[in-house]
Amino acid sequence: MAHAGEVVDELQRAREAAEERRLVTSAADGSAAAFEQLYRRHSARIHALCLRMTGNVATAEDCTQEAFVQAWRNLPRFETRSAFGTWLHRIAVNAVLQQVRRRSESLGAGDSIEREVADVLADHATVDPGRSRDLEAAIAGLPPGARHVLVLVGVYGHSHEEASQLLGIAVGTCKAQLHRARALLGARLGGNGEEP
Amino acid sequence: MTQDERTPQDAAARLDARLRELPLEVAPGRDLWPDIAARIDERAAAVAPAASRPAWLWQAVAAVVLVAGSSLLTASLLDRNRPVQQSAVPAAPVNGMPAPEAAVMPAAFGPAGHLDPEYLAARTQLTQMLDRRMATMPPAARAKLEFNLGEMRRAADEINAALAEQPGDPLLEELLLKTYQDELAVLSNVSQLTNSLENAPVNTPANVPASPAGKRMQL
Repeated sequence: MAHAGEVVDELQRAREAAEERRLVTSAADGSAAAFEQLYRRHSARIHALCLRMTGNVATAEDCTQEAFVQAWRNLPRFETRSAFGTWLHRIAVNAVLQQVRRRSESLGAGDSIEREVADVLADHATVDPGRSRDLEAAIAGLPPGARHVLVLVGVYGHSHEEASQLLGIAVGTCKAQLHRARALLGARLGGNGEEP
Repeated sequence: MTQDERTPQDAAARLDARLRELPLEVAPGRDLWPDIAARIDERAAAVAPAASRPAWLWQAVAAVVLVAGSSLLTASLLDRNRPVQQSAVPAAPVNGMPAPEAAVMPAAFGPAGHLDPEYLAARTQLTQMLDRRMATMPPAARAKLEFNLGEMRRAADEINAALAEQPGDPLLEELLLKTYQDELAVLSNVSQLTNSLENAPVNTPANVPASPAGKRMQL
């Protein structure tokens, strides 16, 4: 039997989902005001994804912006059967991949950039910001392919099938990249980094 | 158990646990909405004169040309990598569907300014065939084709959006037709190629098909 608190939470979630559907419908009909509300709801999550995938603060902002612009353009085709957040997440991954292809030489390169990303991300950590900073810097320093897989599978909880589809790679490649990412992180963080 | 005695599985599990603790929401350092609003307002703005078409349009067109060439090259390399299976024998129907050659036709606008329904049907048919056959392609080639087709469709979407703002613009219509023709050429070549690989009973050097670029000229 559900507790009263759970029922209230469930009702709240249902209300929010209904409100989001309303906003999506309005935005698809051309309401920029509704789309701004969708931006306010989702920008932090999309930005965090872009930050981790690009390992670069400036590029992450570009990708976040691009993802929302692309979402606006494609909203009329969005099918409300799926969650808007999930759809937006996919668009953001594509935005990052396109940026990486254009600017691969300048992404995630150098300690200063890794530190900058790590500082931004660690400021939002709820558990031990100091250790989170080291982990975020190590993630930012991974090669792009390994970083993308680690972020999608390790941080955002996608299955290998989902991540491989998002990234346009084979499932086997996805698994190999995750293995590589873990090994590189382990080597970089050493004993201290692995301590829970 | 000491740290040295921990297994690699333990280390991986601890790392996974730490990854799951990382924050999933990090607000941008600045409000990105004004820039986003400016970009989406541009699309809603009054029709711009033809002389001031946005730079991205030309970039989109250039991208389509490059991407189409790239995909055709991929198809060509696939072709070259499997010479033993090549055949110019006309493709047999698959799953009750006619061979792709029969479906290829030039893109054209109908009287209402929309794409010819026959063309759309052919495009849908080729896309469905390609989707089924993607599974048989090497992962790298598949990924590249998927990416390139995505780029072409994105460019077509952008040109469509510009056409929505400037209905009847002859240059935009011409660019859109060219984009669809390039997309169809890629779909057709890849579908034909994979079809012939699957169905070819005979192989002789004389039966090697014309190059994808050559087929493209038929459109």
